Amino acid sequence: MLSLKVQTRKFSDLAIRYSSFYEGKIEIAPKVPIKNLDDFSVWYTPGVAAVSKLIQRNRELSFDYTARWNTVGIFTDGSRVLGLGDVGPEASLPVMEGKALLYKYLGGVDAIPLPIDAQGVERMVETIKALQPALGGVNLEDISSPKCFYLLEKLREELEIPVWHDDQQGTAGVTLAALLNALKLTDLKLSEARITLFGAGAANIATARLLIEAGADAGALMLVDSKGILHPERDDIDELLLKHRWKYELAIQTNRDRRVGGIAEAVDGADVLIAASRPGPGVIKKEVVQRMSDKAIVFALANPTPEIWPSVAKNAGAKIVATGRSDFPNQVNNSLIFPGVFRGVLDVRAKAITDEMIIVAAEELARYAQERGLDEDYILPTMVEWQAYPRVAAAVGSKAVELGLARKRLSEEELYHRAKRIIGRSKKLLQVLGRAGLIRRPPKMGMK
Amino acid sequence: MEGASELVLRLKKLNGEFDPLFAVSANATDACRHYLSDSIKDAKSLVLVSEQKGKIVGLLKADLRDRTFYQPRKEGAIVEFYILPEYRRKRLGEELIEEAVKALKRKGAQIITAEFPSQNQIAVNFYSKRGYRPLVSVYATEKV
Repeated sequence: MLSLKVQTRKFSDLAIRYSSFYEGKIEIAPKVPIKNLDDFSVWYTPGVAAVSKLIQRNRELSFDYTARWNTVGIFTDGSRVLGLGDVGPEASLPVMEGKALLYKYLGGVDAIPLPIDAQGVERMVETIKALQPALGGVNLEDISSPKCFYLLEKLREELEIPVWHDDQQGTAGVTLAALLNALKLTDLKLSEARITLFGAGAANIATARLLIEAGADAGALMLVDSKGILHPERDDIDELLLKHRWKYELAIQTNRDRRVGGIAEAVDGADVLIAASRPGPGVIKKEVVQRMSDKAIVFALANPTPEIWPSVAKNAGAKIVATGRSDFPNQVNNSLIFPGVFRGVLDVRAKAITDEMIIVAAEELARYAQERGLDEDYILPTMVEWQAYPRVAAAVGSKAVELGLARKRLSEEELYHRAKRIIGRSKKLLQVLGRAGLIRRPPKMGMK
Repeated sequence: MEGASELVLRLKKLNGEFDPLFAVSANATDACRHYLSDSIKDAKSLVLVSEQKGKIVGLLKADLRDRTFYQPRKEGAIVEFYILPEYRRKRLGEELIEEAVKALKRKGAQIITAEFPSQNQIAVNFYSKRGYRPLVSVYATEKV
């Protein structure tokens, strides 16, 4: 696939030129009118002191009288950025800015990129904790595994605002949504499907945990890592206990039959293969897909190239194929989940994002696609179907209310309209700024 | 015997995770088997196993020691203790310890001790929770 390489080079080239032309992707802009000198006395001193005193008496009011309610910190230590690895906090900044752009554009959320020079995981916990007063939510991004599991677990315990690690929960959520619809099309139930996960990084471990939480049969689940199929008596099990508790716990729960071997043995008779391993093609061979059941569902999620090309998987008998890419049907992309999830939790001032809330987000996303009409090439909406986002937001927000995790009680309908309005405003803002010439047209540049 | 000595080997490998001085040797598999069969014959040793559906899932080995200079003099020392991961947190370990303590008492033990790598925080927590306290420290160096 030479065209793919050419395409990637074109995007890389543009990204470098545009980034320097626009000098970054986001900025902070006022949202209040300033007409005369008096206005400054309202928005700043002396007027602002009165607001300060209100909040001093009740800290929760910081959600009502400031932009805290809509502000999310995007934290990373730069230890596992995209497929690049440990690039450090500064080099992660363009990626975090990109994330902030998606947050604003798709979810109407003000997200601040905050790569931190964290010397050790406890320092990182302390730093994020210390910034809690300024934030309505925390988004962890591109942090190496298993550190990311510890961080999410610890911060979920310690903070009173929602904490999210997109590489875990976002991926797991959107994968669950895609799977629910793929199972619907193949007439299978989640509780009865035999599911194999190939790759045991942050994404697939989180996916396995969420699938079990959503009703998948843990004993029928199989996880394959570089050492083969996980099972409770694998030689390195005690090493996992000490070094990767989350993988250890899955090893004990899964693979009831104690199947040993690699991916080929693991998919024998499986209905579902979810691969989040390393870029292909050829990482999963057609022979592997041929060993699956006659209702084979294959998600090859590695980026930039899936573990197996969709056409190869289909020819080998796969009924439904999904990848991480937008140029194939069925793109399983975190960006379908996180903007809506945060829109929802921010609008009810939620204290946490639980697994149940991620499951309703996945179900709502799946339902949206169902209403549009499912087929083997449409199991998920695409990122341009923006009507899906307020739906997810409303579902997540009302679940938070139901679970008693919301500071503000709104009905699902109120949440939906509110989300629609906020996201709509965000899109309009960009249009208006563009029309007014405040966002300049990109420079004309010859393609290399 | 196979099942039991496999558990001893697993325990030794687990110890290896805590300090390079516990890296298992090449002949550890055979060594475990001999060690176990000797222990079973030895009147001063005790070997207990947990069985589930005909499979050995836990093992405990203890030794009776004479504390010549101290009193009480008779010590029952738990020196090997391992439960397969799947069977942990199900009170199996507890039962195994309780049985061992009873048997060691019958053999005359007046105090019970347990040995494990200093860095094994899971063991530290397990015994501390049951009222055990640190007694002996062993420090090591390779620089000789």
